[in-house]
Amino acid sequence: MKWLRLGTGMVLILSLILLSACNAPVFLSNEFQTTGTYPSKPITGVIPWDQGGTTDSIARTISPLVEKELGQSIVLTNKPGATGSIGTHYVYEQEPDGTHLLFSAENPALYGVLDISALGFDDFEPIALYARTMATVVVPADSKYKTLDDLLQDAKARPGKIKMGSTGPGGLPHVVSSMINGAAGTRFNLIPFPGDGPALTALLGGHIDATVSALSAAINNQKAGKVRILAVINDQPVPAIPDVPTVTQSLPQLEQHLPWGPFFGVWVKKGTPEPIKAKLAKAFAKAEETPKFQKALRNIGAIPMNLHGKEAERYWRDWQSTTAWLIYEGGEAKVHPAKLNIPKKPSRSDQER
Amino acid sequence: MAWFEYLLIPFTDPKLFFIAAFGTFAGFIIGALPGLSVTMAATLLVSLSYTWDTIPAIVLIIGVFFGGVYGGSRSAILLNIPGTPSSLAATFDGYPLAQRGESGLAIGYATVYSVLGGLLGIAVLATASPLISSIALSFAPRDYFLMMLLGILVVGSVGSKDLPKSIFVAGLGMIIGLVGMDSLTGVDRFTFGSVELKGGINFIACMLGLFGLAEVLHQLRHLKKNRMNDISGQFLPSCAQFLRFLPLSIRTSAIGVLIGSLPGAGGEIASLMAYDHAKRTVKKPSRPFGKGAYEGVLAPDTANMSAIGGALIPMLTLGIPGDAVTAVILGGLMIQGLTPGPLLIQSSPDLFGVIIGAGIISAVFVFIWGLMGLSTFARIVLIPKHVLLPIIAFLTVVGAYAIRNSVIDVYWMVIFGVIGYFMKQYRFPTGPMVLGMILGPMMEGHFRRAIMIEQGSLLGLTTSLFTHPISFLLTFAIVFTLVTQTPWYVRSKAKLFKQHQRPAKIE
Repeated sequence: MKWLRLGTGMVLILSLILLSACNAPVFLSNEFQTTGTYPSKPITGVIPWDQGGTTDSIARTISPLVEKELGQSIVLTNKPGATGSIGTHYVYEQEPDGTHLLFSAENPALYGVLDISALGFDDFEPIALYARTMATVVVPADSKYKTLDDLLQDAKARPGKIKMGSTGPGGLPHVVSSMINGAAGTRFNLIPFPGDGPALTALLGGHIDATVSALSAAINNQKAGKVRILAVINDQPVPAIPDVPTVTQSLPQLEQHLPWGPFFGVWVKKGTPEPIKAKLAKAFAKAEETPKFQKALRNIGAIPMNLHGKEAERYWRDWQSTTAWLIYEGGEAKVHPAKLNIPKKPSRSDQER
Repeated sequence: MAWFEYLLIPFTDPKLFFIAAFGTFAGFIIGALPGLSVTMAATLLVSLSYTWDTIPAIVLIIGVFFGGVYGGSRSAILLNIPGTPSSLAATFDGYPLAQRGESGLAIGYATVYSVLGGLLGIAVLATASPLISSIALSFAPRDYFLMMLLGILVVGSVGSKDLPKSIFVAGLGMIIGLVGMDSLTGVDRFTFGSVELKGGINFIACMLGLFGLAEVLHQLRHLKKNRMNDISGQFLPSCAQFLRFLPLSIRTSAIGVLIGSLPGAGGEIASLMAYDHAKRTVKKPSRPFGKGAYEGVLAPDTANMSAIGGALIPMLTLGIPGDAVTAVILGGLMIQGLTPGPLLIQSSPDLFGVIIGAGIISAVFVFIWGLMGLSTFARIVLIPKHVLLPIIAFLTVVGAYAIRNSVIDVYWMVIFGVIGYFMKQYRFPTGPMVLGMILGPMMEGHFRRAIMIEQGSLLGLTTSLFTHPISFLLTFAIVFTLVTQTPWYVRSKAKLFKQHQRPAKIE
């Protein structure tokens, strides 16, 4: 029976070797793959978030449309964990030859300030930013707060007592409450939940007083009479809910930060050849314009962006500057934004002080 | 009940009927293969469905959901590897049963009661969704914490007779669960600066190692032992047996629906709690628990199947996923333009009716596929070890890789396989470790939220335990569980009733 033990061990080791070989970056692929024939083999699309989330849903909607444009298949894999940094790191480890795409949300822009990863969007180049979503401040339908001003007044009168749902540092509720705190001088008791779904659940059960939720989830629950939307975090009213006031009606100082919200797009590793990037950008731009994609975005309450190249670069850098400094002023930054060469927007300090 | 007229659509449309049957079969295979998860299958199918109509797509996913949850118990019983996390509890008594040559009967029990649990779950979904979802909503973070605490007490049932060892191992599991980024503040814990460790150590990989690979290594050492020549020919429980366990299976189904309906707690916790419930309430099990009690097979299987109906409740009534699979379905429905939420049952009664209809068909097909080729499956335990063990070893490696497409998980699987081997060698139970890894991090998060809601005051938290009905009930259950374990209680009870409880003898 000795050979049996040996055999089992061999199989185990062999399969391990095989697997590590699968995982290793494909050597020489850069030399063999001339940019003219790109994409000559299937592309791997990495989604650094779990199945079923917004990032995942949008990526899975757009990739079949891009496949059609490129004439090559995109194999999507989820590599979730650590605020998306595991998947981001994985793509960074690959060759910059356009065979690995990162279908990400805004999070890597804040990895530096929150000390989540040494990597960030600086190590990647955006191919397309296709959508953004908006945040809303919601309370239960039977709440005593009828308007945002009610909530803010009470928060001022009882600092740190109002229970606000949060999704951890850098998340939607955290940044929005930092914005509001900076302008209104309020302080909330932020209760962190593993996502905005659980936070909304706790709100519906009356375990917290308020939360900041994505527009789509808030609208559905408002229509059913379960929650009241006190304000949208935007400078203009949203067509789907025209009666809901914008946050700037109560706090005009916030206008400098807006429009603000999560955004979604696709990135490649820095150093990817220009023709490959151009080809990808063109394919994504075409896919984004299809009525099918536009409709899917509307369905999940997202706003189409269709930004590419320099425009996309400018958008996320601007977003990063706003958010990083907001987090810093909220006292939650682990690394000073100036240390990361994140510029502060000039207008803000004059207005605030 | 506007949805009622749509209930029959999947039955009358041959295409939908076929899709549900096929989905159940595919789910069965996926669930039975360790590491391949229902979540993975659902994701793949949902993205396929972007080009399909909504109804066939959802029917397919429901089929896969049912088949997958059921399939997990197959490898748990035959190979001692839980095919899905929710079939962990099925290994406790299912595998000992298979070792006794009753693999066919163990599968038979699992199948019959899985169908029952699945149907009861669907029945609750159809009739009592609004009620259940309002109960689920009234669970505050502190109640979740209490429930997880109650779950941890299951350690007393799951482990071997050696309670200190079980507690030690569960504690170790909880510490391993702490590795990674703190979910509340993003602070690194035990990561040593490694990117891979930031995402934590995947408990499914550990489970595959502790159960699958460790079992292979263990059997390699004891090749001569446990050799079976034939298996028992009985596959289905008799009518009398079925009726005997019916009350228990209805209770465990109720546990499954309720826990499944809580967002963030799914089949894996439900099945463990159901196993614990069975062990505590069944006075005279068919065999001692852990040695091949039929009750220990059917309790977790009814619970994780009824948890499917439970998990669909918050998704359909609140637009909040009850577990990972429903999160995927939710994402898919939103892309399709259907907005699951409080209005769904009114605005799309067809969808609700079809889901229930598809659930019923899938449950029936679980029965058909489950019993098909049963005698062949049951003979897996007779396969010579020099063929079977390398196959299991291979499956654990592939399964570990498939969890997140990451080779790191394979390394963890191997490391925990070796750890599990030594644990078995020194008679440490492996179940409590996985239990600690699953429950520990959840318990921690809920506790911290609960105390933050009380402004950090421990006194406030303690008083709130007595002022809220659900919290009070759960606290009472915990205290009761703890007290009944003490020798003092057993003695005084014996004195009071003038009778001694004799543990059932091993056959």
